[in-house]
Amino acid sequence: MNCTSCQKPMQGSLLVCAACGAVQGDGAAAIDYFQALGVERKFGLNAGDLEREFHRLSRRLHPDRFVRATAEEQQNSLRATALLNDAWRTLRDPVERVEYLLKIEGHAVGEEHAGKGKSAERQPPPDLLEEVFELNMQLEELRMSQKMGETAEASVVADLTAAATRFEAMLQTVDERLAVEGAKWDSGESRAQAASRMIELLDRRRYVRNLVRDVRETLKTAA
Amino acid sequence: MAYSDKVVDHYNNPRNVGTLDKSSEEVGTGLVGAPECGDVMRLQIRVNPETQVIEEAKFKTFGCGSAIASSSLATEWVKGKTVSEALEIKNTDIVKELALPPVKIHCSVLAEDAIRAAIGDWKKKNGVAETEAVAAH
Ligand code: FES
Ligand SMILES: [Zn+2]
Repeated sequence: MNCTSCQKPMQGSLLVCAACGAVQGDGAAAIDYFQALGVERKFGLNAGDLEREFHRLSRRLHPDRFVRATAEEQQNSLRATALLNDAWRTLRDPVERVEYLLKIEGHAVGEEHAGKGKSAERQPPPDLLEEVFELNMQLEELRMSQKMGETAEASVVADLTAAATRFEAMLQTVDERLAVEGAKWDSGESRAQAASRMIELLDRRRYVRNLVRDVRETLKTAA
Repeated sequence: MAYSDKVVDHYNNPRNVGTLDKSSEEVGTGLVGAPECGDVMRLQIRVNPETQVIEEAKFKTFGCGSAIASSSLATEWVKGKTVSEALEIKNTDIVKELALPPVKIHCSVLAEDAIRAAIGDWKKKNGVAETEAVAAH
């Protein structure tokens, strides 16, 4: 891709030309978040580098710098800033980054694979499902008694707190495994296998994440 | 997101919320999850052993409004049907009835999965062979 203004080949972020400083126009709409931030398309990104790059580009693209520019340049700066912000919000979060990268690599993730594949294959391990369901039942009871103004039983609160801690550890394990598979993908070997493992991990992660969220929320009001 | 009137109705007055005795021979239990969002649903049926008609159905769903409505509707629909008739219920029927938007299709899939899982569990308990039920999906 060449700069729409000076025609030199683009380097780094495709939103703004490193050579002449021109914010790129319409064409920039088709670029992905990695290209927007000017980083390699991979799972293992250095958080510090990413943040530095984001701030540098933010300053560069900031609409305030274009108040005296042409209407088109102002338009470009607004559009580029919006895209940059979206890119940053997505890529800064390791889990969202995984989902996004898999998606742009053409894998069906989350909502997109709804109803595809046999239901049995889409199901998490039965133990996990049972446990999540049972804990939800307990949570509901707790919320109900809260509503009636009763103080929660100490044993129930203790059980749920222990469950939340356990599930948080589970979440961490899943995230570590995501990082391992991501690194495999980044290295370029057996990408298909790494991708399908990551999709599986993400699927399981949603149950665990919901439970942690709901327990923590309910316990906050119980305390 | 705007829910259709039917979703709102099922959500506010869910039919057949509850639990059947899991250990009963006549009861099939389906516990399933939606990997898309992490919601979980349990659907149970009680089948008349002579007629194979589903006489009672209960559900409990921890999930979004569409999932609650889908499972509520599913329990209404399976009641009075034979097991093999109930297996013909498709998630697309639920989507149509509740006017679910594309992002909520998986909520109806969850309900279909739950029906299948409940029937599968009942079949296993009662030694009925899993035949077309699996192949058709
Ligand atoms: S949003 Fe997942 S079941 Fe409805
Ligand atoms: Zn240039």
